[in-house]
Amino acid sequence: MAKVDLELLKKEAEKEIKGAGDMAMLNEVFKKYLGKKGELTFVLKSLQSLSKEEKSRIGRRANEIRNSLKTEFDEKAGLLKEESRKKAEQKEWLDITAPGRKPASGHLHPLTRAIRKTNDIFQKMGFQIVLGPEIETEWYNFDALNIPCNHPARDLWDTFYLKSGSLLRTHTSPMQVRFMEKNDPPIRIVVPGRIFRHEATDASHEMTFYQVEGLMIGKEVSAANFKAVIQEFFSGFFEKPVKVRMRPGFFPFVEPGFEVDMSCLVCSGKGCPVCSKTGWIEMMGAGMVHPNVLKAARLLPRGEKGAGWQGFAFGMGLDRLAMMKYKIDDIRLFYANDMRFLSQF
Amino acid sequence: MVFSYDWIQSFFKSKLPSPQKMAEDFVMHSFEVDEIEKRGSDWILDIDVLPNRGPDCFSHYGIAREYAAISGRKISKKEAKLSETGKKAGSLVSISIEDKNDCPRYSARVIEGVKVGPSPKWLQQRLEACGLRPINNIVDATNYAMLETGQPLHAFDFDKLKGKGKKEITVRRAKQGEKILALDDEEYVLNKNVLVIAGPEEILAVAGIKGGKSSEIDGRTKTIVIEAANFNPTVINKGSKEIGLKTDASVRFEHGLDLKMAEIGLDNAASLIADTAGGEVLSGRAELFLQKAFPKTIRLDLSYLKSLLGVEIKSKEAEKILSNLGFKTSFSKGALTVAVPSFRLDVSLPEDVIEEIGRVHGYEKIAPVFPETAMIPPQKNEDAIWEDVCKDLLKSLGFFEVYNYSFISEKDLKNFRFNSGVLELKNPLSQEFKYMRPSLIPRLLDNVRENSKYFGEINIFELGKIYSKGKVSEKRCLAAMLFQKSGKDEQFYKAKGVVDWLLGGMGISEVWYRECRSFGRLFCHPKKCADIMVSNEAVGFLGEISSSLQEAKGVSGKTVAFEMDFEKLQNISTQEAVYQPVSKYPAATRDLAVLVPFGTKVESVLNRINAVGGPLIRDIDLFDIYEGKELPEGKKSLAFRVIYQASDRTLSSEEIDSLQENIIRDLEKDPEWQVRK
Repeated sequence: MAKVDLELLKKEAEKEIKGAGDMAMLNEVFKKYLGKKGELTFVLKSLQSLSKEEKSRIGRRANEIRNSLKTEFDEKAGLLKEESRKKAEQKEWLDITAPGRKPASGHLHPLTRAIRKTNDIFQKMGFQIVLGPEIETEWYNFDALNIPCNHPARDLWDTFYLKSGSLLRTHTSPMQVRFMEKNDPPIRIVVPGRIFRHEATDASHEMTFYQVEGLMIGKEVSAANFKAVIQEFFSGFFEKPVKVRMRPGFFPFVEPGFEVDMSCLVCSGKGCPVCSKTGWIEMMGAGMVHPNVLKAARLLPRGEKGAGWQGFAFGMGLDRLAMMKYKIDDIRLFYANDMRFLSQF
Repeated sequence: MVFSYDWIQSFFKSKLPSPQKMAEDFVMHSFEVDEIEKRGSDWILDIDVLPNRGPDCFSHYGIAREYAAISGRKISKKEAKLSETGKKAGSLVSISIEDKNDCPRYSARVIEGVKVGPSPKWLQQRLEACGLRPINNIVDATNYAMLETGQPLHAFDFDKLKGKGKKEITVRRAKQGEKILALDDEEYVLNKNVLVIAGPEEILAVAGIKGGKSSEIDGRTKTIVIEAANFNPTVINKGSKEIGLKTDASVRFEHGLDLKMAEIGLDNAASLIADTAGGEVLSGRAELFLQKAFPKTIRLDLSYLKSLLGVEIKSKEAEKILSNLGFKTSFSKGALTVAVPSFRLDVSLPEDVIEEIGRVHGYEKIAPVFPETAMIPPQKNEDAIWEDVCKDLLKSLGFFEVYNYSFISEKDLKNFRFNSGVLELKNPLSQEFKYMRPSLIPRLLDNVRENSKYFGEINIFELGKIYSKGKVSEKRCLAAMLFQKSGKDEQFYKAKGVVDWLLGGMGISEVWYRECRSFGRLFCHPKKCADIMVSNEAVGFLGEISSSLQEAKGVSGKTVAFEMDFEKLQNISTQEAVYQPVSKYPAATRDLAVLVPFGTKVESVLNRINAVGGPLIRDIDLFDIYEGKELPEGKKSLAFRVIYQASDRTLSSEEIDSLQENIIRDLEKDPEWQVRK
């Protein structure tokens, strides 16, 4: 066999690898030395003609060189690829200031969002969500709530009546009695739902709107408990700590009755145009459940025999909550269903 | 109701705080104050007296008493000083009452020899401050006494009452069609719901609401009869609605009145008249007092007071508050015994007493305390959960959620040919909102029309109640509408895809579609409409809104809608998905294009392929429906991709080819079907 100087071969191969300007050249070099007919392959193939001693000596060396060259090939190939990638990237360009493509996204109604948020907060406090009928009877909407027939207080609720004799619930309060009839205390529920009032619509009045009713009944449920629960709710709903104050109020189904104010979100109680400089915003009516309401649901009120049930109830307008949260100035927008409005939620 | 600050001050010896401070006290302890306004040297407070407090607070004395209690001040009572003559009022006037439930008390005083003229300036000013027009010294005195005591009064000209000698005054219900010319110069036609004060021949006044012209006080009036009565609040409320007249008197009667107030009001007015118009007050009252009020006593456990308010108020303080409010109290064994004054018609239960103590003590002193309760997680509400699932699915598909009114118009009732099962309102706001919606579709079409002014493509949905006569008068319903200004039939399949996706998302399988036989036919193009079926039950419909309805609603474009019974959907939905193992063996696909007559349903082709292919077919996708000029007349091409896969082995290509061959042979058994090769 022709005598080949392995060390020289290695040197030359290394030189050529280093000098390869692109992948094609590098592949040529690979072929020349390590390909099927390459020079080093040739050396390895011709080993059998040598003596055992030489075979092992030259063979080992040739293998070492082959491995080292392979490594160098790989490294060089990596470098070349990286180089060409960089070159290619330099040629490409994206205008990152051009607008992104909008995915076709849908939108939930703001009232759905407000209801979900309300439900979430009360559920965390152990309140169960309950839904009720929109078409109601006089009994559940009025009588059971201590608003007797012919009582002028009934005029407070402008009611839609159906020709069938039923009415459209004017508040979510009927569910107080409906639920208490079927479930034993202790009770913690909230009832979100659609209600109806027979009145002309304007920016702050609607004939249809949403309310959430709350009811908690137990052995020792107090006005102080109500204050804590509702303060927690408002703080959660508006995502900032707020204060709550109660003033005397009159609703036939509670006694004592409260008007509930929340510290103004804009000025935090200092007084500003939003709260008419009072620092407070009127939020809802509430109170301690009237014994006649408990009796209508066949529960024993504590006030009567000294042992029995007591608790608080409240009702607030969800539209108003949503208006305050999203800074909406006209309640009618909720039922106009203009997609330019809806797409903002 | 408006109140004069100076007038309130007149009940106190000490100087009251500013009107602003007074208003703050009222707001926190009694009533809202809507407005404080300076008028001359006086201030006017518009106080929103709570409806149950009318009986004791629709008067300056009542408001002053309330303020004394909440601010811890002493009030000085003004006793009317009256000198009476020997002649008895009862000798000139006799009274009869038809029904004591309508009128538990009727009292009258008689004054002889009055000189009618204008009232003194100070009196006129007070009336004007409270929004009343001064008339003469008699009428003004009765009004003044009403504003001061809360008792409405009325003065008759004695000589104008019919009958000789003793005049008869009767309290009775009006007869159907009886008329009265009232002091406001209006004629009112009455009926049996209206209570009246009558002489033997004519009606003198509408009881508790308005006096009559026939016995009006005028410049020649010499002798007057002043009435102070107590009428049934419900009767006055009803009467006032019947004749459409609300007055300062009727408002007070409607809220109820202390039975004892009649004599106080009478004496107050009589002494004022004697001062300003002269004359002699006859002794005593002509009177019928048929129903006395029983004094109320309430026992209040102090532990209940503490438990209900969640704040401790000592018995001493509670007693002081109650006594300032005019209650008499005694304390023993942890409980208060409370005697309620006659003017507090609103207090009859321990809870009422707790309210009195709580509000005067101050609700602001109640510190928030979280309830101590068992840590039981709240039961989930399935209805709310499924609504959320569904709304989120539709939102993810690009749908906008809308909230519409529950009402539809007379016009739409006709447009949509809704039948007699629709619920009608007795007192609708207008023709536009006359019926309870039996479907969400009409209002959704309105939404599409309005939004199509700004958008070429609209995808909206609503989840709300629909209503009908019968046992189940309301149920939840889900409807969506897909609109494209220049849409094609493709729109139908888009909507169908949404339904499939939605039902899939609710874990509902075995969904299929059949020719529409339901409600949907009212809304849709007869050939582009389907019932949505789950197993054997129709759950709703899907279809293209008919062009006649689109026209009627002013919508122009391709509009496809679906509407489903949400109660049914929720019943068959399943929340937990069950995992189907993925086959370890490779799948193979073969395409298949079939030329069929135009009217052939995709489903019938699919069924045939499935029937022959059996369990080795994992899925079939229809990837193209083509109708075009290159095809023979009346034909369309359906292109399917059939996916073959076995769960227990790798299918050989020979096996697949022979299956495919079998399918083709089967399809071509129909002479009109031709598999394109």
